[in-house]
Amino acid sequence: MTVQAGRRAGIEPGALDSALQAPLGELLLALADDDFVLGFADSEWTGIAPHLEEDVAMSSLAQDELGHASAYYGLLAGLTAGDADRIAYDRPAEAFRHCRLVDHGRGDWARTMTRRWLYDTANAVRLEALAGSTDRLLADLVVKVRREETYHLLHGEAWLERLASHAGEPRRRLLEALELVGPDAPSVLAPLPDEAALVAAGIQPIPSVELIERWSARIGPVLAGLGLALPPAAPAALDPATARSGHGPAFLALYTEFSLVRGLDRAATW
Amino acid sequence: MTDPLALDPVLPERERSRLPFNQERSHDERYRAFEEHVLAGGKVEAGDWMPDEYRTSVLRFVEMHANSELMGVLPERDWILRAPTLRRKLALTAKIQDEVGHAQLLYRVAEDLGKPREAMIDDLLAGRTKFHNVFHYPTRTWADIGVIAWLVDAAAIVAQQALRDSSYAPYARTMKKICWEESVHIMHGRDVVVTLAAGTPAQRAMVQEALDRWWPPLMQMHGPRSDRAKDRDLYWRIKAKTSEELRQEFLGIYVPRVRELGLTLPDPELRLDPDTHQWRYAEPDWAELRSVVTGHGPASEARIGFRVAQREETRWVRETILGPVMAA
Amino acid sequence: MLPGRAAGAPEPGDAPVGGPGLEPFEVFRQEREGEPMRHGGSVVAPDPTLALHYARELYSRRGESLRLWVIRRADIVELDDQDLLNPPLDRSFKKPGGYVMRDKLAQARERTGQAKRVASTGRRPKPPAAAGEAEQG
Repeated sequence: MTVQAGRRAGIEPGALDSALQAPLGELLLALADDDFVLGFADSEWTGIAPHLEEDVAMSSLAQDELGHASAYYGLLAGLTAGDADRIAYDRPAEAFRHCRLVDHGRGDWARTMTRRWLYDTANAVRLEALAGSTDRLLADLVVKVRREETYHLLHGEAWLERLASHAGEPRRRLLEALELVGPDAPSVLAPLPDEAALVAAGIQPIPSVELIERWSARIGPVLAGLGLALPPAAPAALDPATARSGHGPAFLALYTEFSLVRGLDRAATW
Repeated sequence: MTDPLALDPVLPERERSRLPFNQERSHDERYRAFEEHVLAGGKVEAGDWMPDEYRTSVLRFVEMHANSELMGVLPERDWILRAPTLRRKLALTAKIQDEVGHAQLLYRVAEDLGKPREAMIDDLLAGRTKFHNVFHYPTRTWADIGVIAWLVDAAAIVAQQALRDSSYAPYARTMKKICWEESVHIMHGRDVVVTLAAGTPAQRAMVQEALDRWWPPLMQMHGPRSDRAKDRDLYWRIKAKTSEELRQEFLGIYVPRVRELGLTLPDPELRLDPDTHQWRYAEPDWAELRSVVTGHGPASEARIGFRVAQREETRWVRETILGPVMAA
Repeated sequence: MLPGRAAGAPEPGDAPVGGPGLEPFEVFRQEREGEPMRHGGSVVAPDPTLALHYARELYSRRGESLRLWVIRRADIVELDDQDLLNPPLDRSFKKPGGYVMRDKLAQARERTGQAKRVASTGRRPKPPAAAGEAEQG
C-alpha cells in the first residue's frame, strides 16, 4: 500500500506540536546526514573513476546527494531557526546521525557501487513512505527528491548486474563488498529513538519494521536473480542506540578534511 | 564511414564530397586544394581528406588540450572534501565534473583523428605528451581554488573562445559547448575571491598570497611571444590568435577586475601603455615554463604519480566490465 | 522507462551484461520543444544502457536537452554516393525554383488588363528575383 499524500490532514508549516519538534529534527538530521556523508564519499571519485564517462555520472550522483542533504538541512534550519551550513559543518563528529551503511569509507569501485545500490533501494522505500508524511514541507520535498532518485536506482542496478555477471575479479570484489557493508545495510531504515512519536503523528507514516520488510521483499529477488544474498543484519545496524552513532575512523578522517577550511574561522563568511 | 560528428557539418554532405581535396587526385593537387580551402577560411570535417601535417598538428593540439583538462582536475580535486559550505562544495564538485566532461569531449575529438584514448593516456603518464604549466603547481589554501577557477579558467577561456573558429570543425563545435560551460566556472571562482577579499583580514591575506603565487604561472600560461609567420597552427587556422594577443586580452579584462578588489599583482612593471594600448609587464620566466611543462614543475611528479596509481586501482573495471575500445 | 535497458536480470552463469568492449554511441539531442534532433557528440560505452546514462551526463547535466537519441555508431547506415543522392541530370521540375513564370505571367496579366495587380496569393509582393518562388503558395 502506498500512503497518498494529501489524504491526511497535513501539518502546515509553523503548526507543529512542540513535543514533535525534537523527533522531527532527528528524522531530518538522519535523512540529511545520510546523503551528506554518502555524497562526500561518492564525490571522491570525481576525477579518478574507471572511465571518463562514468566519472561524470558518478559526480552527478554525488552532487544529487549533497543537494538533497542541503535541502533537508534547510528544512531543519527552518525548524530550529538555524543555518543549514552551520548544522552541516559546525557540529562535533559524534553529533552526526548518518547510518552505519554509509560510515564505511569510499573503498573500491565494487564497494562504492554495492553501497550505492543498497542505499538507493532502502532510501527509495523510506522516501516512498515519507512522501505521505503529515509534515507538509517534508512531504513536498520528498516528492521532488524521489524524482531525482529514479536515475540513481537505474545506474546502481546497471552496475550491480555488471559486477555480478562478470566472473572473476568483478564478482569476487562484489562479494567482498557485500560481506563488508551488507550487514549494515538495514541501518538506513533502522528505527529512530523517537520513532513512536513520529509514527503516531503520521510524520513517519510507516514504522521501520514494516519498511525493512518491504525493502527485503524488493531486493531479495533481484539479488537471488544474480546468485547473491544479503548477509544477515548486524545487530548494531537495527538498534536505535547504535544504528546512527559510534562512527568509525573513515568518518573521523572525512570530518577532519571537511572541517579544515571552515575550521580556520567558523564565524567568517566563506 | 565518415565521422558522425560530420552529421551536422558546416557544408551539406554533397557539397563536401565536391570539395576538390576530397576527390581522387594526385596528392599534390589535393594538398594545394586543401590549403586553399583552409586559408580562405574553409572548415575541415573528420571524414575529409587532410594532409598528414594538418592531421598531426590538430591531433597534437587537441590531445594537449584534453590532457590539460584531465590533469587540471587534480589540483582542485584535493579540495573537494574541504569546501567550506554546502554551496561551495556543490559548485566545486560540479566544476571538476565539467573538466572531466571536457576531457571526454576532447579525447573523443582526438580519438576520431585516429589515436585511441588509452594510448593518449599512456603517453601523458609516460611524459611523452604535455599538459598546461598551471597544473604542475600545488594548491596550498582555499584561496587557490578561487584564483584557479577565476583566473586560470579566464586565461583558458580567452584561448578557447578564439578556438571556436578553428578550421577543424569538430574541435570548433566542441569549443562552443566548452566555453558555454566554463563561463559558470569563472563566476564561481570570482565569487570565492570576492568573498575572501571582502572577508576577515586573514581571508584577505590568504587570497593575496594565492594571487602572488599564481601570477607568474598565469603570465607564462599562453606561452612566449611567437612569430605569427612561423606558427604552423596559425597558418592552418587551427588556432586564431598568438600567445601575446591572448595574454593582452586576458590582462585587459582581468587586471582591472583584480585591482578593483584592492588586491595587488606582483609585477611592478604591469601597466597599460596609453600610447600603444598594450599592457607592459616584466618578462615572464620562460625557462621556468619550459622546465615545468616538461615535467619538472613543483607538483609534476606527484600529479603524474597520483594518476598512475589511480589508473591502476580501477584497471580491473576497464579490463573486465568496460572492455577494450572497439573500432567503429 | 529508459529505452535500451537490458530486459530482466541475468541468471548466474549467463553471458555477462554489457558488450565485449567499449564502442562509440552517437548522441542526438532536442534542445527545445518542436526543434529537430541535432547531433550533439558521442560517448563510448560497453552497452546501450550505460551509453544512455553517459549521454544524459555529457549532454544534459545542466538540463539543456528535452530528449536524447542514442545510437551505436556502427548501426548508422550512411549514404554519400552522389550518383544516388544528387543524380546529374536535370531534376528542376521537382523544385519550386524550376518554375519561373514571371514573363508569362506578365503577358497573361497584360491581356486581362490587370498588369499592376499582384497575383491573388494573399502575399505581399516580392522583389522580382523571388517572383518564381512566390508562386508556390
